[in-house]
Amino acid sequence: MKKIIGIVGIPPLEIIRQINEEQGRIVDLDEPQLPLPMNRETHLPQVYCAILRTVMLNAMNMHLDRVYIDVGPGKCDCALHVATVLQNFLTIPVITTRNRDSEGFGYPICRSNLPLLEKLQAVTKGVQSCEPSPAHPASIPTAGFWGVPPRDFSLLSLFPDSTHVYGWSRCMENKTPADIDLESYCNPAVPTVFFAQSFCAKTALAKHLAERHPKGLYVDCDVNAGSSVRAKIEAFLELSRDAATAAPAASTASIDNGSPGDDHAAG
Amino acid sequence: MLLADFGTSYTKLFTMAEDTEPRIVPTRELDPTFMADLATGHNAKRRGRESVNELIALAKGGRRLIAEPDTVLLDCGSRDIKFIRYQGFEVADMGWNAECGASMGFTIELLESYYNVDYTTVAVPKTGFSVTCGVLGMSNIFDAVVTGSSETEAVAKFVRGIARNAFRFAGSPDKIYLSGGLCDNPLFVGCFPCEVIPLGRFVLLEGLKGHLRTKGLLLRPTP
Repeated sequence: MKKIIGIVGIPPLEIIRQINEEQGRIVDLDEPQLPLPMNRETHLPQVYCAILRTVMLNAMNMHLDRVYIDVGPGKCDCALHVATVLQNFLTIPVITTRNRDSEGFGYPICRSNLPLLEKLQAVTKGVQSCEPSPAHPASIPTAGFWGVPPRDFSLLSLFPDSTHVYGWSRCMENKTPADIDLESYCNPAVPTVFFAQSFCAKTALAKHLAERHPKGLYVDCDVNAGSSVRAKIEAFLELSRDAATAAPAASTASIDNGSPGDDHAAG
Repeated sequence: MLLADFGTSYTKLFTMAEDTEPRIVPTRELDPTFMADLATGHNAKRRGRESVNELIALAKGGRRLIAEPDTVLLDCGSRDIKFIRYQGFEVADMGWNAECGASMGFTIELLESYYNVDYTTVAVPKTGFSVTCGVLGMSNIFDAVVTGSSETEAVAKFVRGIARNAFRFAGSPDKIYLSGGLCDNPLFVGCFPCEVIPLGRFVLLEGLKGHLRTKGLLLRPTP
């Protein structure tokens, strides 16, 4: 019978390889796995990262054989403390890891023309594999999404297919979650939404990068993306599109040199 | 063609074919079946045959009314505040605070009738309350009255706190173009620590006209 292994964050490739070799079934505990309301989670403060509250909700209510939770620089300090809580409540092994993998596998999905929701679904699914992402032709970006995969994927449907993915999500696909240089990269020529989960330490980096970006919008949201967040993103994308249409000559093209800054500019 | 800004408390209407001024109707007095051809605001999707996002309407309205390339437009409504920062006539930043700014305009109006305050005669206070939202700020008023402040003085400090919040939310600029019903409240306007240019209540309607112009549907130029 297949072992069911929960993962939180991105455990090192060596761990993923071991699980794959023993033909274990990986369950990503960062994503909602159960049709349970968030208020069923009572072990963490209510004002806490919705992703980690989801982790607790999943872990406490699923039949798992063990859990790997990454607590290194590729995840966050909050995960370290959640690991302690899980270790105290669960009877199965809860194993902490510190992923420092530095071999880049590339990020073709992040630069593809897939719908943004499918991009992020593929990127998060890719964590369960030791293989690089399948090849996708690079598209020309007209918008950017910087950040972690959101707790509420529905907000991704607001973006055009030509949205490129930056930030930690790009690090996920590259299988280098602790690569702060790659995480901090964004394309100044592309209007970009800098997203972070409310109460996540990455809100500081997201806000900082948005302030420095010539066309950046900082957005954070908790469990679900409310109408205010949606309207803000909708307005930002539409107004950015209008501005690009009105003054196409103002856009500056970047050069595809294969570095993290390898996106073509928005038109 | 009927344009409408369906605000939480008031609906602003403008009929394109007529050379009339926009009208203001309390939203609760609208017939449940009332519909507009093009709408923005809180109830736009339900009451408009076509709807435009409020922030987009605000940004477009500001572009039509403000001649400065680099400036800030702040809209203070009944239940939320929004701002647009323009740079080179383009939108460089924006914000929509529907949580901590909740009910602020509504609360100011509520206090006016509850305490029978005439905002046109109230002096701008030198200090104010630290108000993060309308509901939480109310307890400051009650506390101040209990400890001896006059009701008018307490309400004025509350209004000052709300204005300062909105100012900081908009990025603490040197000058603000103000949109919304609170333009008509001299106490609120006077509490901003910067130059304030009130644009009135019809900026979003102006944005709807801008939307029509973008789509090539506006047949005659607006003044």
